[in-house]
Order: sequence, then structure tokens, then C-alpha cells
Amino acid sequence: MSLHEFEAPHYDPYDYRHHDDPYPDYKRLRDHAPVFHNTKFDFYALSRYEDCFRAVRDFKTFSSANGSNLEDINVEVATILDSDPPVHTRLRHIIVDLFTPDSIASLEGSVRQLAIELLAPHARTGSINVITDFAARLPMAIICRLLGFPREDEDMLRGWTDMAVHRNEGEFGVPIESREAMGKLIEYFEQDIAQRAKLPPRQDVIARLLSAESAKTLSHGELMGFMLILSVAGNETTTKLLGNMTYQLHRHRDQRDLLASDTMLLPSAIEETMRYDGPTQMMARTVTRDVELHGETIPAGKKVALIFTSANRDERKYENAESYDIRRNPRDHLGFGGGLHSCVGAALARLEARVAMKELLTMMPDFVVDESKLDRMHSPNVRGFTTVPVSFTPNAGYAA
Amino acid sequence: MKVTFIQPDGSEQTVEVAAGSSVMEAAVFEMVDGIIGMCGGICSCATCHCFVEEAWRDKLRPPGEGEAAMLEALDDTGLGSRLGCQIVLTDALDGIRVRVPKEQM
Repeated sequence: MSLHEFEAPHYDPYDYRHHDDPYPDYKRLRDHAPVFHNTKFDFYALSRYEDCFRAVRDFKTFSSANGSNLEDINVEVATILDSDPPVHTRLRHIIVDLFTPDSIASLEGSVRQLAIELLAPHARTGSINVITDFAARLPMAIICRLLGFPREDEDMLRGWTDMAVHRNEGEFGVPIESREAMGKLIEYFEQDIAQRAKLPPRQDVIARLLSAESAKTLSHGELMGFMLILSVAGNETTTKLLGNMTYQLHRHRDQRDLLASDTMLLPSAIEETMRYDGPTQMMARTVTRDVELHGETIPAGKKVALIFTSANRDERKYENAESYDIRRNPRDHLGFGGGLHSCVGAALARLEARVAMKELLTMMPDFVVDESKLDRMHSPNVRGFTTVPVSFTPNAGYAA
Repeated sequence: MKVTFIQPDGSEQTVEVAAGSSVMEAAVFEMVDGIIGMCGGICSCATCHCFVEEAWRDKLRPPGEGEAAMLEALDDTGLGSRLGCQIVLTDALDGIRVRVPKEQM
């Protein structure tokens, strides 16, 4: 029995200590404070699967219109994250068909080619930083392809998108650096669009958004918000998924062996990683009326954190919820959220993860993570590593 | 635009939704029992499975590869089985009637 079990339930996603291992905190919340009130920042938190599931379904009570962050970030411009139907529906309809598995299937070849390009130089050396050399680069390269941005801008864009989600320790709010990074992204998008006007029309996501703007189903501000979300959301989270999966396969050697013996388990292993250690820890809602739950009242107008990664480890929902089992194939986890606001890029994330992990495991089946050099990002919403150095038996035959 | 959902016990619920929405959205907007729409409409979860009543089946575009593959993985499919998120409501589909399965997933 660990000391943790005697601690009072607490949840402070702005405390960096919480980021290292939030799961004991989550278990205490689920067991002892399923409706937790953080009095310091005056928000509530739901941590059980059933409660989070109900909340994502009941969007009229758990509204996104006041933002999906705990902080009241300026949400003058409606985005697919920060809106409810019918606004949300209007926005999501513009692009949703571009993100079905059928629509993104054609990207598989490019994803594989990019993955191999990034990995090949490291195959002979026997060492790679899974995040900085690979997982941070691949998703941004794919986003640039989808959005039609030049590849030479990738590093710059990634720097800005990383900074946009950063939060300072103990600080409830968006730091000035993050605001500036968002400003730079918006400036970049404006220039990109101005450039486009001079060139033949392209067939990409931005082209779709621009036609919506012309058709007056999207305002210019909403267009900018859309580009911001597509750039930030698809970058950060997929990077963290690849890092978290590498780490979990390192920590669970039996599961890695199982995967090596049957690569058909890869999609199931990805779902299990999303459940067990998915990058998106939490998304916020605002309750539109008093909500009575487990004997507590969440007053109308309060922010509520839906802790998806806690819900995903709820023993009330999953057997042996705290164990990593790549055969589980949990298709009902909340790793991508759920309901109308469910991650629009989930099929793309799944494709990228499947291809990337297949290539990684082919190149370095016996990899070992240098745990002493791990470091992580700090955000109340997203959790994952910024650096995952690994060593492996040099593999001159990879992609030769 | 009207959509009628018929529950396994025979009870019916008719909801109104704007053209361009999907059958899944029509259900989820009103929290109709038995249609979940876990993935939000990107044809990735098969929790908006429904049985389209015979009279309406010919008016639908046939399922794409992805939808067909998702349906194939389900146990309780039958005539008219479709994913609600892939049925976009147009004038021709105003009044469509679909049966909700006993359970999703």
C-alpha cells in the first residue's frame, strides 16, 4: 500500500509535480471525490468514466461555448473546440468529410515515406531521440502537407504551436509567450492566404476553408481560428502519443514482445495506449445549469474539467483498468474525447501512429529508453514527453 | 428536416434538424437513446449504427469503403444497416425513419 492512498484527493493541473504521474491523483479523485472542487481556481473536476461520458454527450448542460480550457481564454472567435451546436455543427461540417478513414487513407504512403526518411539516418547509429528526431517532426510534416504549408517552415511552425499550449508552473492563465506565439501563427496564416490568392487553386483543407469563407459560412476570424486549431491540435497530441507509446512499450516488455510476435495487434495497441496513457488528459466545459451529482452541486456557470485519462482508468468501466494490455482493443475510451467534440483528426492520428510505430519497431525492436534523460511538457490539457532518448542495436539493414 | 427514430421496444421519437446534418447528429442533438456517435462523425466508431427502413434505402448513396468495413465488424447488422453519421440529410431524405439497434459496441 503506498503512502499516496492516505493523501486527500486533490487535482491541480497547473502543478508541475502532478504531470509526472497524475494517475494516483486520479484514482483518489475517482474513489473519494468524483465531483472535486478546486477552490484555489474555482473549477470542478469529473474523473469517472460514466460521468465524463455523460458530460460529453449532454452538450446542452456541459457547454463548450465558453472554451474548452479551464482558463477563460478569449473566445471571441468560435472554433470547433469552443462552440456548441448549431455554430459547432456549421464549422465541423466544413471539413468533417476530409477526416474520415477513407479520406485520409491516401496519406499513408506519404506518412510512411516521411517516417522512413526521418528514421533512416539513425538506424546505423543505434540511438535516436524518439521525440526530437522523429515524433515531433512527423505530425507537423503531415499537417504542413494537409494545410499546404512549405516543409521548410515546419520547424518554425512547430516552435510556435508548442509555445501556444505551454503553461507556466502554478499560473492560471495563458502566459504572454503563448499569446505571442498564437499571434505569430495568425500572422503566418494571413500571409499564406495572401500568397495563395496569387497562385492556382489547390485542393487541400485550407482551400476548403477558403471556399467556406467565400460562401459566407465562415467568417475571417473563424478561418484563422480553424487554421490555429488544425495546426496546434494535430501537432502536439500525435507527438505525445508516439512518445507515450514508446515509453509504455519500454516499461512493459511483455507487451512489446507480444506486439513483435503479432504486428496485427498494432491498432489495438494504439487504442490501449490512448486509453492507458493518452496525451489529452482533460478538456473543460462550462455547466449551463446547476448539476447535482454524487451528492454535490456544481453551480451554473462553473468550469468543469473532464479528466478523460482518469475516466479511461476507471475500474468501474474497465477490468484491470490500471494495467496496460495491448490485446484489450478498447474502442470506447475517451482518449479522443467523445461525442460531437470528439477529435476530428482521430483517424489521421491512428494512421500516423500505426505507420510510425511500425517503422520504429522495425528499426529498433530491442530499444531501451534512457529514463534518466526523460523530460516532459507542461500543460493542464496535454501530457507527454519533450525528449525520449533511446538506444538499440544498430540496424544497418533498415530501409537499406 | 425530420428524422424518426424507432427504439427496440417500438416507441418512436421524431426530431427536427437542419439540412446538411447527419442522422447521427439528429439523434445526438436530442440525446436520442441508443445512438451514441462516439467519434463525432468521422466514420470511426460505429456507435451510430441504425437500420434504415425499407422505403428509404433506395434514396441513400451506398456506403463507402470505410463505412462498409465498420459495418462488417459489427455483430448485429441486417437489412438497411448503416452508420448514421454517413447519412447526410437532404430534401429527399426529409422524414427518414430508422430503427435503433438493441445496443451499440
